[in-house]
Amino acid sequence: MSSRRSRSRQSGASRITDDQIIDLVSKLQQLIPELRGRRPDKVSASKVLQETCNYIRSLHREVDGLSDRLSQLLASTDTDSDQAAIIRSLLM
Amino acid sequence: MKRWRTKREHQIYSSKLFQALCRSRRTSSSTSAKELHQTADRVLSITAKGTTRWSRAILAAPLTAGTNMKKHKKAKVTVHTRLRKPVVNREKKKLPVVERKLKALRRLVPGCRKLSCNNLLEETSDYIAALEMQVRAMTAITEFLARGEAQAPTDRLGSIGNM
Repeated sequence: MSSRRSRSRQSGASRITDDQIIDLVSKLQQLIPELRGRRPDKVSASKVLQETCNYIRSLHREVDGLSDRLSQLLASTDTDSDQAAIIRSLLM
Repeated sequence: MKRWRTKREHQIYSSKLFQALCRSRRTSSSTSAKELHQTADRVLSITAKGTTRWSRAILAAPLTAGTNMKKHKKAKVTVHTRLRKPVVNREKKKLPVVERKLKALRRLVPGCRKLSCNNLLEETSDYIAALEMQVRAMTAITEFLARGEAQAPTDRLGSIGNM
């Protein structure tokens, strides 16, 4: 067991141990909707990390698409007159 | 992290974002999608109240006009390393892959390139929760405006607050 611990490669400023990676991976798995139901030992570490990256990228893309749509909508509608009403209802 | 799921936080963010967007519309005639995305990220970071590294990194970053900064990155050396190294045993094979992916994750979350594993976990989970809320809030605003185009907005707006 101790030999595993010392075999980690130096990465930047911190030395990452296997246990840290396992801990990180198991907790990340709970965040990703796709992997949430699966048993932790059935999903490999690299898959969880890959899915995390994919999920963040897909969220970015979704926000990109929404930004696009919003910028079009803002350009075409006159929001100034209804601004107070819209904000009031956003806060309800 | 749990706060991103509350209705209150959702309301604060969506109203702040909407105000920011109206303000930017008054100053410049057109808002590109990229600028809008940047504004959305900045408002999100402000809503985080500076408690997380990713939010502070977003606020500290200069506003880019539109060039894609990713083009300046050097070619990845890690790929060649992987091909050159012979696979000695399972352990050595596991580490480069996992570390590569860890590195990719670090690049995706703002301000976390040199973060340790534990902190990276906290930042990532908060970042993901915040992004999910951002999507929900922007969807709500979009539906508002789309609906507002079709009919008088004062009647139907109450239902959106329930999202």
